[in-house]
Amino acid sequence: MARDLAIDLGTANTLVYMKGRGIVLNEPSVIAVNRKSGEVLATGGDALDMIGRTPSYIAAVRPLRGGAITDFDITERMIRLLLQRVGVSRFTRPKVIICVPSAITEVERRAVTDATRRAGASDAQLIEQPMAAAIGANLPIDEPVGNMVIDIGGGTSETAVISLGGVVALEAVRVGSFDIDGSIQNYVRREHGVAIGERTAEAIKIEIGSAEPGPQDREADIRGRDLVTGLPKTVRLTAEEVRFAIDEPVSAIVASVKRCLSKAPPELAQDFLSRGMYLVGGGGMLRGLASRIERETEVPVRMSPQPLEAVVLGAGHCIENYQALRGMFMGANKFR
Amino acid sequence: MVAVAFLPATFTVLACITGSLLLVLVYLDNRKSRIDDSINAFRRHIDALSPEARRNSVMRDSDD
Repeated sequence: MARDLAIDLGTANTLVYMKGRGIVLNEPSVIAVNRKSGEVLATGGDALDMIGRTPSYIAAVRPLRGGAITDFDITERMIRLLLQRVGVSRFTRPKVIICVPSAITEVERRAVTDATRRAGASDAQLIEQPMAAAIGANLPIDEPVGNMVIDIGGGTSETAVISLGGVVALEAVRVGSFDIDGSIQNYVRREHGVAIGERTAEAIKIEIGSAEPGPQDREADIRGRDLVTGLPKTVRLTAEEVRFAIDEPVSAIVASVKRCLSKAPPELAQDFLSRGMYLVGGGGMLRGLASRIERETEVPVRMSPQPLEAVVLGAGHCIENYQALRGMFMGANKFR
Repeated sequence: MVAVAFLPATFTVLACITGSLLLVLVYLDNRKSRIDDSINAFRRHIDALSPEARRNSVMRDSDD
């Protein structure tokens, strides 16, 4: 008998929760494929190390972009491998809940459920990431009070107001931490004439990136390829430069939070002032982001204790209480 | 004689009225149970989201 699963199929990382066991898998959403034979060469962390370093016949790719499947076939193979790794065989077909961005289109929805069913699930249901995040962050969403959750992922940022077990207001933008990395890459290329890879850009973001000036502002040396000579080159970046480089995606995220606040009913809006908003997702760990949102919205922002796991924990709770919470699944009839 | 002639018609009308009343009662009872079902389902949904219900999945992981 297969144990049912909840999967947070993120643009950056994939986490799997097994019913009765908790989180059993957490690794990057990357797959390396041999272009000639079609064979899968590596997944997860091993495939991540290959990005930007492969010969032409090997493709190390992220099959999801902006929370959407960009390559249906590769995503299906990745899900199949994930299910195999957690013990699903062709004779044990579990029920699977997948967390997806709320801004997903009908076509993308069908692509995810079809990929999951074809990968070996007996039933595939989808749940909106902000709802799962609110459950996983342990917010009191069973009470008639306003709970606001901001989920900043690799490809999407979503803000939701939740009360009495349902979404009251929602705002989503297809901007996430990969866009922040992309902005750093573009800045270094434009201002320093040096090409850097996405992993280097991510390392810069983690090391000296910030959304607000702070006492820990530092400088970092980065290595890339000179666009004129084609030779390796080292340049020094300051925290202020990085802040300037990433301002556009960061401002887009803050603007979406403000839009969600403006959509919330006044009765719930006053709850945010006392209870604050909760930040989850890897993108929320950017230094100074919480204080910038707090400064611009004048609402306190709190970081969830488990920002990376909150979504899959919430979906895991749904798989543990499948019957009672099935009204939460996308496209489900509520309370039947 | 006239009254006897009207008897079948009177019984037919009475049967129709009784039948209709029964149908209305069955419909109202069904509707009430449907409302009760949704109230129960909503209560189950909210209970499943309570901190006590979440203790086993979400909180267990935070403790690890």
